[in-house]
Amino acid sequence: MTAAERIAELHAARPRSPLVRATALILAGLALYAWLSGEIAVAELWSGRRWDNLRRFLERDATPYPLRADGFSWSGLWEWARPVLVERGLPGAFATLWISVLAIVLAGGLASLAAPLGARTLMAREPYLAGAGGGASRPLFWRAVSGSTRAFLVLLRAIPEYLWAFLLLAMFGASAWPAVLALAIHNAGILGRLGADTIENLDRAPLRALRALGASRRRLVGFAVFPLALGRFLLYFFYRFETCVREATVLGMLGVVSLGYWIQDARARNLYDDMLLLVALGAVLVLLGDLASYAARSWVKKAS
Amino acid sequence: MPERAPPPLGRRGLVLAGALAAGVLAYSFLDLSLAGLVPRGGQSRILREFLAAALRPALDYEASFVPPGTPSFPRTVLAAVHRTLVFAAAALSVSLPLGLVLGFCASSVWWSDDGGRPRRLAPLAQWSVRLAIAGMRSVHELLWAVVFLAAFGLNTLSAVAAISIPFAGTLAKVFSEMLDEAPRNTAFALRAAGASPLRVFLFGLVPRALPDMAAYTFYRFECAVRSSAVLGFFGYETLGYYLKLSFDNLHYREVWTYLYVLFALVLAFEAWSGALRQRFVA
Repeated sequence: MTAAERIAELHAARPRSPLVRATALILAGLALYAWLSGEIAVAELWSGRRWDNLRRFLERDATPYPLRADGFSWSGLWEWARPVLVERGLPGAFATLWISVLAIVLAGGLASLAAPLGARTLMAREPYLAGAGGGASRPLFWRAVSGSTRAFLVLLRAIPEYLWAFLLLAMFGASAWPAVLALAIHNAGILGRLGADTIENLDRAPLRALRALGASRRRLVGFAVFPLALGRFLLYFFYRFETCVREATVLGMLGVVSLGYWIQDARARNLYDDMLLLVALGAVLVLLGDLASYAARSWVKKAS
Repeated sequence: MPERAPPPLGRRGLVLAGALAAGVLAYSFLDLSLAGLVPRGGQSRILREFLAAALRPALDYEASFVPPGTPSFPRTVLAAVHRTLVFAAAALSVSLPLGLVLGFCASSVWWSDDGGRPRRLAPLAQWSVRLAIAGMRSVHELLWAVVFLAAFGLNTLSAVAAISIPFAGTLAKVFSEMLDEAPRNTAFALRAAGASPLRVFLFGLVPRALPDMAAYTFYRFECAVRSSAVLGFFGYETLGYYLKLSFDNLHYREVWTYLYVLFALVLAFEAWSGALRQRFVA
């Protein structure tokens, strides 16, 4: 057999999946359709009005106030930036931070309660003992427990944080609670599912041994499943903390005092220079959150 | 089974305790009280009425008077879903190629000896790409939308750009991490056989990371649908726009219709992505 024949043979034997192909085709078709559907006004790209808008925005609105009339001066710039940052930016940034910290802790707590209930390996009459544990052999009751837990988690995460916050704001009034709860609910849905998947993927041998020794389901979770899954779970926890900081900034635009509140405030008063400064501060906050999460994750990873 | 102390958690236990303490601290800094969790007066009425509407989602407009010429309610819902999907697909069609290029340039394997091209300026180039990615990612899509609204005014192209930019950054970051963590043995073999660095990268490294990258891209599409729905709060006529309108008009049954439609969309995507993931893993 020549090399070319062998290559042709390997090529013919490569794994193929109709589902993957169909997905790729559908998505490509959808992308093409999106641009041709007329919903997106592509012609705006050549519209003079838009670019005039942009020019006016950059020359006038977006230029820091002290730089518009007179020339550049560092002291004038600082005079302008100081009150924006100190009186609105920093309190807003701290509120954003605390909202996201409380939200992710609540989400983590709720998720660690839900995760074992969603794990199909644990929700069986004799977890880890009878047969392979999961699959079709599980009694209806246990299937209902894991199934309904997972369905509940989907409901929590299907609604975006911003929408949760909008709905909760009407029901709980203007405090930090709507923002905290919105983030906590959405992230509990995500962390709960990831936690349940983590538990299902744990090495079964030590768990089976413990169960064979007569450990109750609760002991199994508390003494073996939780410690074994904790490392993974904390990684997810800190990943989601990053997105919490991002989202908490934005939720303020609904009227909760986080950075977004002051961004919306500057926007409403047409102070676009202030607005851009606060958006930049938000970006710095998000980057700091990413760094903190990165540090925490590598600290956790080092633990055995 | 005799009573025994739980195994020491060590460093992870410390992290757990730290997170709990941070939560308590945050609670006190935010001036929250548990009483704030109990709706009062008008709020509790809204809550009751809203929950009562859950079982009776609207199939027609709730308003007693609908101006003639208004499309029927199901048609409005479908149009909103259509627009939501269109914005998401258009945004992803921009951010995917951008994310691929930036992700390649941000990965270490692209610049390192065994994958790409060793150059003296490599660290500088790699880190400036990483900085650009961080900048794109660190501004939320709704904030990009707000900035573009101020700069260009309301137009659909800005909505697409607002989603595309942070999504391209996120895709690029995750792609670069996946490339760096992909198994290298194929790449080593190709290099030993004398393949050029570009080919080693494209045919030795990328295929090893491709299943993960594809699965993640699909997940981001689901995220883009959610973001596109929320953009409705800023005047773009996606699901969020109509949902907010109905809520502000106290038409809670219509709100539930939009919520159920969003559930159904997300559920369908999760089922689809679950099936894809199984196919990739097998």
